[in-house]
Amino acid sequence: MPVRSRAVANETRFTLLSVAGVCCIEDIIIGFIAELRSFDEWILVYMDVNWAQVLFNGVVTASLYLIAAVGLTLTYGLSGFPNFAYAEYIALGAFTGYFVSDRLGLGMPAAFIVAFLFVGAVGLACCRGIFQTLSKRGATLIHLMVASIALGLILRHMIPALGDIIPVLGWKWAPSYFSTSWDAFDYGPLRVTGLWLWTIIVALFLAFTMHLVLTRTRIGKAIRATASNPELALASGISVDRITWITWFVGAGFAAIAGIFRAADTQIWPMTGWEMILPIFAVVILGGIGNFYGAIVAAFIVGFAENIGVVLLTAVGLPTSYRIGIAFIILIITLIVKPQGLAMLFRRS
Amino acid sequence: MYFLDLLVFIGIFGMMSLSLNLEYGFAGLANFGKVAFFLVGAYTYALMAELGIPFIFCLLGGAGMAAVFGFLISLPALRLRADYMAIVALTFGEILRLIIKTEDWIAGGDWGTSVAPAISIAGASAQLNIFINIVLVYACLAACFIVAQLVTNSPYGRSMRAIREDEVAAEAMGKNRARFKAQIFMLGSAMAGLAGGLYAQYLHYVLPGMFMPMVTFTIWIMVLMGGPANNWGVLLGACIVEVFDRGANIAKDFLTLPTDPSNLQYILFGVLIMVVLLYRPQGLLKESPIKTKAIERVRGISNAIRNRES
Repeated sequence: MPVRSRAVANETRFTLLSVAGVCCIEDIIIGFIAELRSFDEWILVYMDVNWAQVLFNGVVTASLYLIAAVGLTLTYGLSGFPNFAYAEYIALGAFTGYFVSDRLGLGMPAAFIVAFLFVGAVGLACCRGIFQTLSKRGATLIHLMVASIALGLILRHMIPALGDIIPVLGWKWAPSYFSTSWDAFDYGPLRVTGLWLWTIIVALFLAFTMHLVLTRTRIGKAIRATASNPELALASGISVDRITWITWFVGAGFAAIAGIFRAADTQIWPMTGWEMILPIFAVVILGGIGNFYGAIVAAFIVGFAENIGVVLLTAVGLPTSYRIGIAFIILIITLIVKPQGLAMLFRRS
Repeated sequence: MYFLDLLVFIGIFGMMSLSLNLEYGFAGLANFGKVAFFLVGAYTYALMAELGIPFIFCLLGGAGMAAVFGFLISLPALRLRADYMAIVALTFGEILRLIIKTEDWIAGGDWGTSVAPAISIAGASAQLNIFINIVLVYACLAACFIVAQLVTNSPYGRSMRAIREDEVAAEAMGKNRARFKAQIFMLGSAMAGLAGGLYAQYLHYVLPGMFMPMVTFTIWIMVLMGGPANNWGVLLGACIVEVFDRGANIAKDFLTLPTDPSNLQYILFGVLIMVVLLYRPQGLLKESPIKTKAIERVRGISNAIRNRES
């Protein structure tokens, strides 16, 4: 009797187990089908995405990052420390452009020129007054970085403070906008604005000019020589100080131009630069510090990654504010896999 | 009352500057993402306290969680130069704040969440509550200070300084720099996490706006001004910066300025760092000399020789 009952019990347990097992398998299959269906929907989501637009946006973003990153990568390569105040050059450029174009009513071209010159002068003054003085007093790399953060703090809060003292400037903490409106027109599936086209044109022009300057002119060659070996450059008669000043001037000027493009696309406020600084650093490090050609390729990689990444984020159901996290991931992966970035692709023998 | 509040803040930020001093002052690791570990400590405390866990365990949990994050951030840091490290740490703090801000379910997103005080006595006056907080904060500060002093005035601390001065030489002397750096990062982050927990329970709430990069820079000013690699110095720095901060806050109530005073306060902070870096990069108090029996004896002998010669 007990034996039989045990057998029955065993049998029931077995059936129960097998039923449970079948149920499990069924569950898995049903779940899998459901997964497949959602995968199907996923593909549908993809078909819905206007890929031409996404890629075009990638080119626009890449152009903006290229303009912004060139100055940082050149000064970083030359002086050997990351200038965190570069973000504030971008913001300062946006505000200067706003003052010239909207407050003085001189239009956008004048805004670009004045912002380039003014912020360039600020960058030069910072280089001579702060960073070179510190270097001459034997400051370490860490001291220079702290000084650049402090400088950024001063500049960022100087903007609204100046705006309060001199109301004509119209500089304030709350966001303001350029009054210039840009025509949007459809080109096939693409929606394009004049501003985006200008961003691309300026970036191409900049890349081409910088290429010519760096390879064909004395100054460009001197910049490259100084970046790769300052002592040797000094020994061969290059005025290292002057080369540094020129690079800092031009670098800060480029930051100003990027700032106007960015601000015209979004808004003007003192954090305009700080919002962009992470992808810019990603570009600089992925491209290899001080490497201009690496920066071009890296700008396109980061630009495309961000725009395609946003589509992926939406498909997965994450908020698009994680967009900036994509640049962070690129940064971390570069640093772990190959800290010298893409520079080795462009090293001439 | 105002003064007692100031004392609590000095205690909490004193702990933060001690932890940065361990990393930067002694081991030469530039951590520009200090606020990230502060944030981890504060949020861990808030989440654990919500579950009704006693506050001691919440504080320890915050410290432990921050140590885990410190270990994670030290992984890329071990092979990288100081400037790469600075960029990684700075952006890490921003990304962490972005995640906390976006994910509402963690702790209320942008609006934050309220935190129960560590020790609450029914019917206690506000004065008594602050007094309890002072006792708690200074007990933790004393513990951190003792740990920092013991660590830095030991053979371990001398290895840290050796790694700071010359990594390759230290490695040649058989010091495993990767392990040292990871340990220092974990210890420093744990202290920062502890401070974060205390901060959260003192203010009764946490929100992402409390953990801006500005917090990191404030701690850097404290360490650079007080004197890197000197534990008394950084405490002095914490006192000065907090008093300065409060002073500026009081002053702006009495002065009529043409602009928003908080902007001027940030500008003043920036100028303060510049002045310290330009005119006194070693800080107010210099690095404390190493005291060991061997060094004392060598010094004694050299003095004796000098006396005999003269």
